[in-house]
Amino acid sequence: MKKRYARSFDCISEIVADTEAFFNAEDIDPTLRMKVDLSVEELFVNMVTYNTESKHEIQIEMRPIEGGVEVSLSDYDVERFDPTAAREVDVEAPLAERSPGGLGLYLVLKMADSIHYEYHDRTSRITFTNRVNSGEN
Amino acid sequence: MFEIDLNDDGIVVVSGRLDAAQAPAAQEFLDGLGNACVIDMAGLEYISSAGLGVLLRTHKRLMASGKGLELVNVHKHINDIFCYSGFDKLFAITPA
Repeated sequence: MKKRYARSFDCISEIVADTEAFFNAEDIDPTLRMKVDLSVEELFVNMVTYNTESKHEIQIEMRPIEGGVEVSLSDYDVERFDPTAAREVDVEAPLAERSPGGLGLYLVLKMADSIHYEYHDRTSRITFTNRVNSGEN
Repeated sequence: MFEIDLNDDGIVVVSGRLDAAQAPAAQEFLDGLGNACVIDMAGLEYISSAGLGVLLRTHKRLMASGKGLELVNVHKHINDIFCYSGFDKLFAITPA
């Protein structure tokens, strides 16, 4: 699956529907859906929210791999921002010290079996994999 | 699709997918609550960090008056996200 989406949260439902169709067509283990949906949403929302200078659509690619799925999101004509270098979130902190900021990328990094960032010619590309029976990493 | 409503017993009932597109509506609804409350999550299929943010902001606001949100009927895949996020240590959570 390879498709481009407008820079709008309104596209999330379309992305979810396309992901479901991809999982069905490629017979991907449905237990991976939650992790894939969440990681795709968090990365897409991050691009829409922070790469506001770009007018280009965001491309999402999904490929079946052995035991799972590989997903890439590409954002065009943007500054470098490496989500894999996102700051740590202290999930043990008491309520008074907790804020929602940073939690999305933290969850992506927590749930991915692998994650890789590339930046070339003002294009940001983040690729992650999720596999079944990979343990809770 | 996401829905949030108050049932006859005063319990907030949520269903569907609480994502970044739906979080503002959920936040607006919960901002209207003046007291501690129970949220029935039996119908909640999905939650992202935007939804977690809604819960966290509401919980912190209500905790200022002594008691916050209680999350009940939480499915395992949703509870996994709560555990990853450390929410299991912040909220009273009852599994489905």
